[in-house]
Amino acid sequence: MATAEHTHDGHDHGHHITPKNTLTATFLTLTGLMVLTIVAARLPYMGVDFLYDDSLLVRLITNGIAIGIALLKAALVVQIFMGVKFGTKLVKFYAYGGFIWFLTMSVILIDYFSRPWEPVQGWEAAPASALPRNASQPDGTNPDFIIQRPEHGGKDHGGEKKSGEH
Amino acid sequence: MAGWGANQGQYGKEVYFQYEDLDQQQESYVVGMWAFLVTEVMFFGPLFFIYALYRWKYQTDFYLAHNDLDYVLGGVNTMILLFSSYLMALAVFNAQKGKLKAQVWNLLGVLGCAFGFLIVKTVEYSAKFTKGYFPDGQFMFNYHGDANPEIARIFYSLYFTMTGLHGVHVIIGILVIGMLTFLVWRRSQGAQNTVTDYVPTEMVGLYWHFVDLVWIFLYPLFYLMPK
Repeated sequence: MATAEHTHDGHDHGHHITPKNTLTATFLTLTGLMVLTIVAARLPYMGVDFLYDDSLLVRLITNGIAIGIALLKAALVVQIFMGVKFGTKLVKFYAYGGFIWFLTMSVILIDYFSRPWEPVQGWEAAPASALPRNASQPDGTNPDFIIQRPEHGGKDHGGEKKSGEH
Repeated sequence: MAGWGANQGQYGKEVYFQYEDLDQQQESYVVGMWAFLVTEVMFFGPLFFIYALYRWKYQTDFYLAHNDLDYVLGGVNTMILLFSSYLMALAVFNAQKGKLKAQVWNLLGVLGCAFGFLIVKTVEYSAKFTKGYFPDGQFMFNYHGDANPEIARIFYSLYFTMTGLHGVHVIIGILVIGMLTFLVWRRSQGAQNTVTDYVPTEMVGLYWHFVDLVWIFLYPLFYLMPK
């Protein structure tokens, strides 16, 4: 609706002026998304517990909804309020480049997640939860581990396995 | 700020001598501001990675620890920031149209929202301080919730670091917006040695929208954590 009003008047040297209606519509959309994300997050507190269990899939879905709505809100703010959508190519390059760089930087997390893959003593996986703590079984395993250390046959480094340390 | 260049003294048309035309001048301002915002993304980004790492490892305890945060107060703050972003966008709109008096009112509204945000934040923080949830230097962290205290300490360290850094940005925003409001008000009174076009407002606006952007992610991650 409002995009039709985008005008470039002569003495403005072609600079884009985002119309008021577009700004208002964006704000109202952001408010709607805000309500949506609260409702989605509060559902388990409102008696619809059965949708929620502790499985990884459900966690990924619920977190995906929360992050997805946040990304949508962020996109609206960046594109309309910050005007990247109407910006020049160079502005788009910098704006998108910054966020792409951020995502690329997340690769540093691989260091933490890959440590349990390596057969080095002291690099065992941390407990998924410290609740209950010191839950090591007599055979040395710890049920709290997210990733069980793969067995490496005779290639072990000789030390006794320590559980629950990080 | 009237300098050398074309169209001196004409609001919104001054071109400084190093630029070919108004378009190039404005583009370089915006690109420069975005280059700064990219460094801000780099500044906040690693904190989100730390959060992701510990949240992945200790989801259960993070979920239990987050129950002590007031999602209503956090939601009020989110709405305050979203509305202030809207007012800031209107300020840029009015600046582009040359309606300086309306712009001053918009900016005053943004300032009011920023102070409102800080007031709500103070209420939240002092509640956590009273409970002993601030992981301070004396290691007096005194957690009484359901989560493992060790993990709750990580959670509240992240909470205070990330929302605190965001709060510092809000305070800086108040200073910058305050100065801008004064300069625009002087221009609306007819003064020449002050803002020459809407670009300063757009720059400050970009900064303020970025502060809003960070909070858009902080709110669901801390206050609305799914199970």
